[in-house]
Amino acid sequence: MNAAYEFVTGPLAWAAWGIFLLGSAWRLYSMYQLAKKKDASSMAFMDWGFSLRSIVNWLIPFNALGWRKNPAMTVATFVFHICLILTPIFLVGHVMLWDQFFGISYATLPDNVADIMTLVVIGACLYFAGRRIMQPEVRYITTGQDWLALTIVLAPFLTGFLAYHQALNYDLMIILHVVAGEIMLAAIPFTRLSHMVFAAFTRAYMGSEFGGVRHAQDW
Amino acid sequence: MNRTFPLLLAAALILAFAQGALSQQDMKTLAPAAYGKLTRPAAQFNHDQHNEKAKLEECVACHHGGKDGKQDKSASTEGTPCADCHKLKTGGKGTALTKAYHKQCIGCHQAKGKGPVACGQCHKR
Amino acid sequence: MGIAERLIEDVGLRRGVSKLTPEKIEKIVSAVITGETGARLKAYAETCMRCGLCAEACHFALSHPDDPSFTPAGKVHQTMGVLLRTGGKVDPEFIYGMAQLAYTECNLCRRCVHFCPIGVDTAYIISTVRRICHKLGVTPQYIQDTAHSHSATSNQMWVKDDEWTDSLMWQEDEAREEFPGLRIPLDKEGADIYYSVIAPEPKFRTQLIYQAAAILHAAGADWTMPSEPGWDNSDMCMFTGDFEMMGRLKRRHFESAQKLKVKRIVMGECGHAFRSVYDVGNRWLGWRWHPVPVIHAVEFYWELIQEGRIKLAKKFPGPVTIQDPCNIVRGRGLQDKLREVTRFLVEGDIIEMRPNKQHNFCCAAGGGVINCGPPFKNQRVAGNEIKAQQLAATAEKGVKTVITPCHNCHGGLHDIIHHHKLGMELKFLSDIIYECMEKPEA
Repeated sequence: MNAAYEFVTGPLAWAAWGIFLLGSAWRLYSMYQLAKKKDASSMAFMDWGFSLRSIVNWLIPFNALGWRKNPAMTVATFVFHICLILTPIFLVGHVMLWDQFFGISYATLPDNVADIMTLVVIGACLYFAGRRIMQPEVRYITTGQDWLALTIVLAPFLTGFLAYHQALNYDLMIILHVVAGEIMLAAIPFTRLSHMVFAAFTRAYMGSEFGGVRHAQDW
Repeated sequence: MNRTFPLLLAAALILAFAQGALSQQDMKTLAPAAYGKLTRPAAQFNHDQHNEKAKLEECVACHHGGKDGKQDKSASTEGTPCADCHKLKTGGKGTALTKAYHKQCIGCHQAKGKGPVACGQCHKR
Repeated sequence: MGIAERLIEDVGLRRGVSKLTPEKIEKIVSAVITGETGARLKAYAETCMRCGLCAEACHFALSHPDDPSFTPAGKVHQTMGVLLRTGGKVDPEFIYGMAQLAYTECNLCRRCVHFCPIGVDTAYIISTVRRICHKLGVTPQYIQDTAHSHSATSNQMWVKDDEWTDSLMWQEDEAREEFPGLRIPLDKEGADIYYSVIAPEPKFRTQLIYQAAAILHAAGADWTMPSEPGWDNSDMCMFTGDFEMMGRLKRRHFESAQKLKVKRIVMGECGHAFRSVYDVGNRWLGWRWHPVPVIHAVEFYWELIQEGRIKLAKKFPGPVTIQDPCNIVRGRGLQDKLREVTRFLVEGDIIEMRPNKQHNFCCAAGGGVINCGPPFKNQRVAGNEIKAQQLAATAEKGVKTVITPCHNCHGGLHDIIHHHKLGMELKFLSDIIYECMEKPEA
C-alpha cells in the first residue's frame, strides 16, 4: 500500500501535472502557430474588447439565447463547472497535501459543502449521460470521445466521494481516486476536455468577429 | 491553612502526572482540545500499541524539542502535549499543529515504508 | 435518419459524383483540410462537446422536431465530422449526400452562434464542406449555373454587357415620364455614390432599379452606375465554394468603383451580396476591410431620412411586420435602423415576429439554398415550418405586409407564404419609399 501510494502521489502525480501543464502549453502554442500560418484572415480581427465582451456575456447564466432556451442544461452546465473546478482546489484533504508537500496553504471548503459539491458533479455527469442516451438530438451526435470525456471527469469525483466516506475498500479507493484525478489532468490537453484550454479562444474569436465585423451580439 | 496548601499542591501534582500516565496508556486518538470541533474524524492512534509495533524505545523519536521553528531531536519533551508548542496557527515561526502531526506521522511512515499515509487511514470513520 | 434517406435527384450533383473516385476524394479532402483550414477548424472539431444546445437554434431542426439529423451539430456530424474521422476515405455516394446537405439544408445564417457556449461557427464548417464539394465538382446544377455565369460574365444572370446598359437606359427612359429631370448617370467619375445591384435586378426585377433611381433623384444624390462588368455585387461563387471566383468578383467590383473614383458604394436591398463584400470576399483577397466604403440600402435610407432628404406624401398603411435578414442583422447590426426606417414610412403598428432582430429565424432561402433551384424547393419550404408559424402569428394580428429588405428573404418567404396560403405581401423598403414619397415633378 505504502509503495503504491508513494508512487501515485509522487512520480505519477508529477507526470500527470507535467503532461497537463506542458501538454496544454504545447497545444496552445502549436494551435497559435497554426492559426498564424493558416487563419491569418481570422486572426486579423481578434480584438480584446470584443473578446471579453463575448466571454463575459456567455459567463452570465441565462444571458445568451442558447442558455435561455435550455434552462435545465444551463443550470447543470454552470453548477457542474463551478463545482468541478472549485471542489478539488479548495478541498481540505487536497490543501493538506499542498501543505505537506510544498508548504502551501490556503482557504478550504467545509467538508460537508465539498461533499455536496461532489455530489453535484456526479449528479451533473449522470444528467449529461442521461441526455446522451435519452435526448435524440444529443444521442445523434454523441461519439466515443464524448463518453470518454464524461467518464474521465466522473471517475475522480465518484472515487473521491467513496474514499471520503470510506465506503468499500478505502486503501484501494484512495489509490483509484488519485489515479483517476491524474488521468483527468493528463487527459485535458488531448481529449474533448481540451475545451478547457481552447474555449476561451474560440469564444474570443466569435466575439471579435461579431463585434468588429458584424456589429452584432454573439450571445 | 498554611499546612494544607503544600499538601493540596502535592496532591494536584501527583494527580496530574498520574493522569498523564493514564491518558497515554488509554490513548486511542489524537484529538487535542485545541482543535475544538474536528474537521475530520480524530486520527486513530494507540500510543503503546504503536510503539510496540514500531519498536520505539526512545520517547524523543516523536517527543522532540525545539525552539523558534527549529527542531531539536536531542531534547526529549515527553509529557508536554504537542499542542503546547504547536499552535493551531503559527505566527510565521514554528509548525502549525495539524502540519506537525502530518509531518511527524506521515513523514516517519513514508521513511519506514510502513504505517498509514493517506487521509482515511488515520482519520477513520 | 440522416441525409442518405432523403436524397433528391439533381443533375449537377449526379454528374459530379459519377466522375469521382475514392482516390480523388481523399486527395481533395486532404488538400482542402490541410491546405486551406487551420486552427479554427481543428479547434471547432475538437472542442464541440456535442451538447446539442444548437438544436434549438436551427429553423431546419425546429421544423423537423423529430429528426436530429437537421440540427447544426447533426449536420456537421454527417459531413465534416465524417471527413475528419476517415481522413476523406469515403465513397462517391457519400459525397452526394454531403453536398446536398451542405448546399440545401444549411443557410449559413449563423443563428446557431447564439446557442454555442464554445463559439463554434457552424456556418464556417459547412462553407468548408461546400469548398470541398466545389473542388470535387459536385455542386447542384442551378447554383452552379449562376457560378458559371459569374465566371463568364462577372454577373450572376448571364446579363450581356449591352443588355446591362440597355436595361439601365430603358429604366431611365421609363422613369423620365414620372420624373422628367431624372438620370441614371453612367460612369460618372468622382460621384458621391456608386449604386450597385445584383444581377437579378436587371434580369427580372428591373422596377427595383427604377425605384432606386427615383429615390436617389428625389434625394438629390450625386450618383452613378458603372457601364462595365463589376456592377454586380452578388456572389454565388461564395456559396458554391468557388473562392477563387469569389475573389475575382469582389476585386472587379471594388476596382470598378475605384476606377470611377467614387466616394462610396451603396448596395441595394440584398443580404448575401453584402456578406460577400464586407466579410467574406475581402478576407479571401487578404483585405482586412474593403478598399471603398460600402453601405447597405437600409443604412443609406436611414441616412437620407436623418438628413431629411426623403419626403413622404403619405404613409404606408400598417400594420406590418419585419423580416430581419441574417446578413444585415446578425451580419451587420442594422436591426434598429431597419425599424427606424420602417417607423418613418409606416402608419400603424409594427407587429414584431418573435424571436426577432438578431435572434430572428432565417428565411431558409439564403446562403445559396434557394439558388439550388426547383429540385430542392419542397425540402426548403418544409424546412421552414417555423417561419410559417411566425408569419401566421403576425397575420392573425392583422399584418398583411412583410417588410423584407433582402432578395433571398423575398424568395424564401414568398414560397412559404404561398405554400401556407398566408395571403401576405412582401415589400422592399424601396417599394414603400417609392410608393409614398413626394413626386413633385409627376
